[in-house]
Amino acid sequence: MKRFLVPAALAVAYVAVPLAFGGNPYVMGLIVAALTIGGIAVAWALLGNLGGMVSFGHAAFFGVGSYTSAVLSMKLGVPPLAGLLLGGLGAAIASIATMPALRLKGPYFALAILAYAHIFQILATEMTGVTGGAGGLLSIPRFPTLLGVDLGSKTGGYIIILTIVVLSAAAYAAIRRSAWGLALKAMHDTEIATRVIGVPSTHLKAAMLALSAFITGVVGAFNAHFINFLEPDYAFSGAWTVLPIAAAIFGGYRTVWGPVIGALTIYLLDQLVFKELMPHGHQFVLGMLLVGMILLSPGGLAPILGRRLEGGQRHAHA
Amino acid sequence: MLSLTLQALFSGVLAGGYYAMVAVGLALVFGTMRIINLAHGELVLLAAYVAYAAESQYGLNPVMAIPFALVIVGASAALVYALLSRIDQDREINSLILTFGLGIILTNAVLMIWAADIHSTTAPWFQESVVVADTLFAMRSEVVFFVGGLVLMAGVHGWLNHSWQGRAVRALSSNRNAAKLMGVNPRRTEILSFLVAALLATFAGIAIYTGKTIFPSLGHVMTVKAFIITVLAGMGSIPGVLIGAVMIGCIESLTVTYVSASLQELAGMILFLVVLFVMPSGLFGGRKAIAR
Repeated sequence: MKRFLVPAALAVAYVAVPLAFGGNPYVMGLIVAALTIGGIAVAWALLGNLGGMVSFGHAAFFGVGSYTSAVLSMKLGVPPLAGLLLGGLGAAIASIATMPALRLKGPYFALAILAYAHIFQILATEMTGVTGGAGGLLSIPRFPTLLGVDLGSKTGGYIIILTIVVLSAAAYAAIRRSAWGLALKAMHDTEIATRVIGVPSTHLKAAMLALSAFITGVVGAFNAHFINFLEPDYAFSGAWTVLPIAAAIFGGYRTVWGPVIGALTIYLLDQLVFKELMPHGHQFVLGMLLVGMILLSPGGLAPILGRRLEGGQRHAHA
Repeated sequence: MLSLTLQALFSGVLAGGYYAMVAVGLALVFGTMRIINLAHGELVLLAAYVAYAAESQYGLNPVMAIPFALVIVGASAALVYALLSRIDQDREINSLILTFGLGIILTNAVLMIWAADIHSTTAPWFQESVVVADTLFAMRSEVVFFVGGLVLMAGVHGWLNHSWQGRAVRALSSNRNAAKLMGVNPRRTEILSFLVAALLATFAGIAIYTGKTIFPSLGHVMTVKAFIITVLAGMGSIPGVLIGAVMIGCIESLTVTYVSASLQELAGMILFLVVLFVMPSGLFGGRKAIAR
């Protein structure tokens, strides 16, 4: 059954969803925004599950990625699709600056990354020559029309972000199955023993951090070209950290698809239900979800659903 | 130039007083539970808004609001503890996320009840200026709460060093199992550390409300600041935390005076990263390493 699940889901995602909602820009915009959160959530979960590191600063990588691509396309005329990769590259390079933090233990790493996010945000605000400062960047180039598909439209954007999320999740799944994944799992259980048998644990962690930053940067670059507008408070907003964490925890950050499912559920609920019920402070509900999930089912929803699907044979754990 | 620098340093020292109250609470809880309570700054925020509610709705002086704030903040801290103690697997990651979530809940509860506006006390007594040594200016509330904060922290310091319960807190911090063997009740001691942290957070909240301005995202800012101070000072001692807090306060106010107000937070952050990488156990941290 599981062999058909992924192809079927992909077929639905690539064909059925655009056919069903393509005519409704509002719904399509919501789904794109949810997948944007989902992409960051996958990157966050990759770092948390494989690297064993909690980050409260993914907004930094998101912001750097979006500014890199936006500035390159506006000043140097780099095409937006190439800008996606360059945005990811920019975020990965920025993550090198954060790598000294890898030698810190749990909470110290989490908060050092948070400090980096603040620093990057302030730098983006102050470097007015490049980033336009607090005034922001207007009319960032949109995605082109390719093979008769207008990628700049809502549906085109959906296809791009869906592809980014699918590729990221596939990369995550491949690493988890590889020898690296095994080494990372061993490291999670006992790091010292793993180092003793010759696993370069710091290098592995650094690679996971760079990859997580790369994915987040690509998602950030996508978002910049999709909404065509950037300002520092938006690009580095704490929401780019809070929502993905809530999504990953809700869906299950130790699974590959949990963060994506979590993002779709949480973002759509948040926008369609909670925002209507309470215009101010609707993140309250996200906080409740986080607390509730950690206390009741720290593995998230995906393992519960997965166990039901697989008849309880395997325990979903990285 | 010199008088400007002196004034900046003076304001920085006064700010360091309430920063220290927040940071000592964070360090106490970290000591007993090995958990960074990411909702700690939100307890400060809660105290400040209780004072605001008491003043704006019942015309109560902020100082008179302290007992109410103590009850509410203490109860919230106890609730945070009760939830934290239910975590049994992946304690490090899950406790971070749990307290992060609790912080979001408290911030947004404040936002829903009192909206996003900026508030400060309306009692003029607190905001009258006080002149120290002919040239240094401060608001009366800053001086009052700085002195009050020092007295309170001296009390906590004495309690930690000389009372049985205080020694139990320190014993639990240095060696959990040995402390248990010596008859320390870990749960009671942990909750005690939470309540003392709540007491300090309450005073800091009232100090901020009377001397500065309050707004819902302040809680998060205070958590980060307290964490930076404890990294700077090491988690070890109250005098160390006080010195770290004063340093952060001075660096911030010097940045505001000579560079730009928008870079205030940046200065502290950069100092934090430098200390993390150069002296990972803090300036006065002893051997309690935070890095490998």
